[in-house]
Amino acid sequence: MNQYLFGRGRARWLPFLLLIPGLLAYIIIALGPSIATSVFSLTDATGVPNIPVNWIGLENYNEFLFRGLASRDNLDALTRTLIFMIAVTTIQFTLGLVVALLLNQGLKGTRFFRTLFFMPVILGVAIQGLIWSLFLYPQGGPMANFLGLFGVQSEFLGGQPNEAFFWVIFVQIWANMGITMVIFLAGLQTVPAELYEVAQIDGANGWQRFRNVTWPLITPVVNTNLLLNIIGSLQAWQLFLVLTGYKAGTQVLGYLVFAEGFGQTTGSVSSSFRQGYAAAASMVLFALVLLIGLTAQYLLNRREQRLGY
Amino acid sequence: MSKRIWIFMGLLVVASLLFVACGGGAPAEEAAEEPAAEVEEAVEEVEEAAEEGEPVTLRVLIHQNPPMVEFMEAFNDEFEAAYPNVTVDMSIVEAGDLATVSQTRLTANDVDVIDIFGFANGAQPYMTDVDAPNWQQFIEAGLLMDLTGQPFVDNYDEATITDAGSYDGKVYSINLGRVSYSGMFVNEDLLAANNVAVPTTWDELVAACETLTAAGANCMTAGGGDSWPIFVGAYGLLGALYPDQEALVEGLWTGDIKWNDEQTLELWEKYQYYAQEMLEPGVTGLSHDATPARFAAGDVGFMPTGVWQAPALEEAEPGFEWSYIPFPGSDNPEDNQYLFGKYDQGWAIAANTPSEEAALNYLAMFSEPDNYEAFANAVGFIPTQPTATLATQLGEEVAPYLESFRVGYEQFWIAPKGAGQWANGGEGASWFQPFNEWDDAAALAEQAQADLQAGLDSLSE
Repeated sequence: MNQYLFGRGRARWLPFLLLIPGLLAYIIIALGPSIATSVFSLTDATGVPNIPVNWIGLENYNEFLFRGLASRDNLDALTRTLIFMIAVTTIQFTLGLVVALLLNQGLKGTRFFRTLFFMPVILGVAIQGLIWSLFLYPQGGPMANFLGLFGVQSEFLGGQPNEAFFWVIFVQIWANMGITMVIFLAGLQTVPAELYEVAQIDGANGWQRFRNVTWPLITPVVNTNLLLNIIGSLQAWQLFLVLTGYKAGTQVLGYLVFAEGFGQTTGSVSSSFRQGYAAAASMVLFALVLLIGLTAQYLLNRREQRLGY
Repeated sequence: MSKRIWIFMGLLVVASLLFVACGGGAPAEEAAEEPAAEVEEAVEEVEEAAEEGEPVTLRVLIHQNPPMVEFMEAFNDEFEAAYPNVTVDMSIVEAGDLATVSQTRLTANDVDVIDIFGFANGAQPYMTDVDAPNWQQFIEAGLLMDLTGQPFVDNYDEATITDAGSYDGKVYSINLGRVSYSGMFVNEDLLAANNVAVPTTWDELVAACETLTAAGANCMTAGGGDSWPIFVGAYGLLGALYPDQEALVEGLWTGDIKWNDEQTLELWEKYQYYAQEMLEPGVTGLSHDATPARFAAGDVGFMPTGVWQAPALEEAEPGFEWSYIPFPGSDNPEDNQYLFGKYDQGWAIAANTPSEEAALNYLAMFSEPDNYEAFANAVGFIPTQPTATLATQLGEEVAPYLESFRVGYEQFWIAPKGAGQWANGGEGASWFQPFNEWDDAAALAEQAQADLQAGLDSLSE
């Protein structure tokens, strides 16, 4: 019996040949720019053409991590990024699962609600930001009026950093929960109905059916969703730009990279472009994503193997 | 079967390689020469087209400022009528994004004329290890056209050309106006209705606010939703305490002035009072563009902001009675006689524009005295052409202060590398609750100085 799908001899190399177009695209679109970023992080590049680029070694990293009290702000942004990741992943994952379970019951109006929950995903970040800027308007906006019914007052996005940060987390979850829900729905629809029938005959209640039938059988989508949520939230920055701007005490690492690279940090219209420094900051972010992403993937893979996937 | 797969795969690989090859990969020298050659070719093509009266599209980039946008749209129509072969394609971006968009579009040869703010924040002799401001980066990168010797440059006053549009002895921008941001608009009707005189000192301002709020009105409004209008609104406080703002920046860099010294502590206390007691509740969500309409609603006494808001205010409520005065930040009326500000919008031309003639004609026509004066009056800029006057209420309001007009702190300030986020005390008013986390002026003053000192100390490490 032939052990090789594509034949013997030279034909054995065909799978590798098949990979070439994809690999080339990956190298040109993803890997190349990533390597270039790591090189840029060792220079004082501005991003403006024709300005000499000087090799400055690890100076950008030294400045970002250790220089003066700017390093304190950078490390605060790093901590905030982690808090954002944990909050968004936990809540978005849980909500997405709960909504998907509800919509998978085949109840009336399922299609309408599925569309409703998914709709924010197709809106651009600018539109999402505009909607919530208006909705969270402190002087008589809908949310202010609603909270007012309970005697609660908020300055929302223009208020204290913790308050503004909370509302960005809220909007991020609203904007992306739909995609988590759809992935869960796809997974739930692969669970054979007979298994639920058998479990029901055996006397399993709702929680037991979820725990012993649904949860193990949707392991692949659980893992996919977890990884997508973790990586997506670590890299998020656009909503911060649209909702709060560069406000002391709300920046996450992704926004810091943008602001440093494009002269948006000081509020001055004359700020310089520091793309070498921004590249160093993005390498720190990359290291964080890599570390957390790989750890999560390792743990999730182990879980999959334990469950026999 | 196997042979067919091989042939198919071979074709796929060849197609991929062709695709990659078409995407770039020219030798470095050729790549460096290609853009210049392409630009020259494009310039020749457009010049030929212009000579033949063929259509030329002039790409213009400006920043968002409603009266300016309105004026420019009307001016573009006139320009197109005067030069029928030229179509103006004008893009508008938020002021904060102007530098970023300029950089990307200049780099991509995708713009001909850009709006650029007056040249500021240049490195001073007492500063070390600071980066060049973005306008300087553009010039050093050869992205802006040298306008030296162009006839229309002579229409502007020499000081403006030197201070706000020149670098290394050459002219790169014509600046279109100065603006003051350290004053405040006064609601004359509301003050009169409550028997409040226009304040000339800090104590009088505090008393006026107390009277207005006791009567159910509000003291001040500002565009807190955009964050920067809060600290810009308080620039008058900074100016009243430190009339020589260039010296203030130098003092902070050299250590002669500290954010937590006795005189500056008074500033932080006033910042706090302004942020927490004077500004009306809810301004954290109010956008800068919406502020004139809010003020014109009539129940707010003062609107600390730049003079550029005057046209929008007049448009929001034409019959509204207002005046514009320096922010009375000091208890000594003599200290409250200055308006601080900056050089605002200017024009520059992309060095690699393929539409050089059309771009120069655009600036020349704009700079004609009648057109320029109409522009200055429309947007509320203090004119930079000596023959132009502001025939508006704003012109009358600022006339007494023009002789003592001073360039403001933010035009000189550059933070030392390594300084923390609280080092720029000029923004201090926006760090107090409800806009940020601080609620103790003395503690914030200490933190601001510590953040600055950390940067200064790191320079010598």
